[in-house]
Amino acid sequence: MDPITFSIIRHRLFRVVEEAVITLKHVSGTAITNEGHDLMVSLYRADGSLLMGGVGFLHHLTSAAEACKSIIRRFAGQINEGDLFLLNDPFTAALHTSDIYLVSPIHHQGKLIAWSACFVHVYDIGAMNPGGFAPDAQDIFTEGFSSPGIKLIDRGQLRQDVWDTLLNMVRGPEMVALDLRSMIACNNVAKDRLLALVVKYGEATVDQACLTLIEQSETRLRQRLRDLPDGQWQSRQYLEVKGETYRVILTMTKQDDTLVFDFSGSSPQSKYAVNCTRWASLGGLFAPLFPLLCYDITWNEGVIRPITMIAPEGSIVNCTRPAPVSVATVGAIQSVNNAACSAIGKMLAASDQYADEATAVWHANHFAIFMFGTNQRGGQSIGILTETFAGAGGARTFADGVDIGGEIPNPISRMANVETIEAAFPIRYLFRRRLQDSGGAGTFRGGTGGEMAIVPHDAPDGGIHYVLSGKGSKFPQSEGLSGGYPGAINDYVWVHAPKDAERSFANSLATIPGDKQPISWGVFPLMQKDALYVRWNGGGGIGDPLRRAPEKVMQDVIDGVVSSRAADEVYGVVMSHGTVDASATQQRRSDLRRVRMAGGRTA
Amino acid sequence: MSRQVISATLAIEKGKIVCADCGRALVEAGQSWKRHAALTSTPIRDMPGAASAVDDKVVLRYFACPGCGSLLDTETALPEDPFLDDVVKA
Repeated sequence: MDPITFSIIRHRLFRVVEEAVITLKHVSGTAITNEGHDLMVSLYRADGSLLMGGVGFLHHLTSAAEACKSIIRRFAGQINEGDLFLLNDPFTAALHTSDIYLVSPIHHQGKLIAWSACFVHVYDIGAMNPGGFAPDAQDIFTEGFSSPGIKLIDRGQLRQDVWDTLLNMVRGPEMVALDLRSMIACNNVAKDRLLALVVKYGEATVDQACLTLIEQSETRLRQRLRDLPDGQWQSRQYLEVKGETYRVILTMTKQDDTLVFDFSGSSPQSKYAVNCTRWASLGGLFAPLFPLLCYDITWNEGVIRPITMIAPEGSIVNCTRPAPVSVATVGAIQSVNNAACSAIGKMLAASDQYADEATAVWHANHFAIFMFGTNQRGGQSIGILTETFAGAGGARTFADGVDIGGEIPNPISRMANVETIEAAFPIRYLFRRRLQDSGGAGTFRGGTGGEMAIVPHDAPDGGIHYVLSGKGSKFPQSEGLSGGYPGAINDYVWVHAPKDAERSFANSLATIPGDKQPISWGVFPLMQKDALYVRWNGGGGIGDPLRRAPEKVMQDVIDGVVSSRAADEVYGVVMSHGTVDASATQQRRSDLRRVRMAGGRTA
Repeated sequence: MSRQVISATLAIEKGKIVCADCGRALVEAGQSWKRHAALTSTPIRDMPGAASAVDDKVVLRYFACPGCGSLLDTETALPEDPFLDDVVKA
């Protein structure tokens, strides 16, 4: 094949996915999809292997491949042109029940030539708690509708009985219907555009280009791995639920042109819904691998071949049915993301050639806060606080991380406008901004996370309720690199207003009147004049903070993202009358180094 | 003699892992270097920016060069957990 035709087909495949993503966003009506970008679209070959990974949450690329393969096995002989299948069982392929896969076979002249697959986190899935994340769930049976594969569209005709059954089991069925229709539209667009490509260039030519693309990705990744030093890198993530601490332990071994991710030593599976299944862990390690090792390589089956995962059965990263997993995407999956990001970052930093590609761990602790209740118009609302997608960039070896700069597993993640949330829910934001001292200290500082507080506003019922879950607020999770500090920890505080409280216009947690109760797991009210304060973690730093340019530290203090205390204790920078005192700073840093050399409190 | 970078703060030189800043040798290449670094630790709750619910026991371990005090690595850890060992082949 001539290289120009190959290049055109490669780019067209990418555009097919991109246009399908746009369709998904435009049709869906939920903030989590069209504002937070909790979505994914990809193309797969006829056998279900990954052909063209799209953007969105990248841990879905491999899981959706398994969804296609599972449908191929389950529906052998019954896969027809115009069909569309739904799959959301985590023990088959999905990450958790509320992330629904719709997969569509693509036929050309009667022959199955490819699949398109997409997901969104639907508005609700009928779990025991609204919104899909179910902290009260004790097993998969209480986490809502769960299908290992069902035909939703048969030869172009919607199966109304299946449609009605599904919508009969969820809260907010009209919004779930819109989510499902957005995915149907997305698959239709992907199918139409891929078929147009096949008609223009011929099936054989496109197929040859696809095979070449996969071979090219495998060849390029294996070469990159050979360019990197052999070795073994370890990382560890802590997560906490209701006083119980869990660990995700990773030993990553690189030898020649292969990588092994071994999660042996991780905690046994939990009784709480933070577990994840094997397919979820596989996706979880690929989510940082795609952008960090394959930033210039097409994300497809070729990238998967050099990688091996070991995940002990019965552990928190490979739980067995019927363990609950509804919190997985903000639970163990993200711990796998973080552990893999940390280990890959260390490996890249061990190479002169690739050190510039190394990064500390980015925003590492999603929180799931799904609000539900009667809105200001008298209707019912369910929806997530999308600040969880705002993220924070990890530091690089040559630059600071980006403040509120997104996250590694989702290159297009973002948060909704305050006004979007205030329009959908009877709440008012007191403030939302960057969080001081949240970016991990270092020669290059991690990007800051943020903080916010909300209060009820114009609520017919006096307020609303919310479901809170995640990995807790006890442990830093965005690890630093090469002496960099981790980013600050999440925090969730329920402020109980005094009975005689005035309407609050406080602009910080300290000034919100009332008793402050840390919370992290369960269903809580936000009523009357109470407030909910949330802060999310910053990215990890890189390098010794005592080597950070003092002028940068002072600018951070002026900007309010680093405190004077941190400037002194962590960075060793002495400021006087708005300038850096160079000699005092030099002395302070020497003193801090001497303390380190002498050794101090030990772990 | 050539120097092989193994992190932003460490290198291998003459068969030994050395501080990239001052060249102080820590241990033979291929072995765990952290036991030969100067170790201090701080409870996370005492650090600037700590959250209200931070675990009482979790610390940040600092591994510094015993020769110059440069910070070589950090790790978040509960006291009972072992060091994370990274080994780069020479």
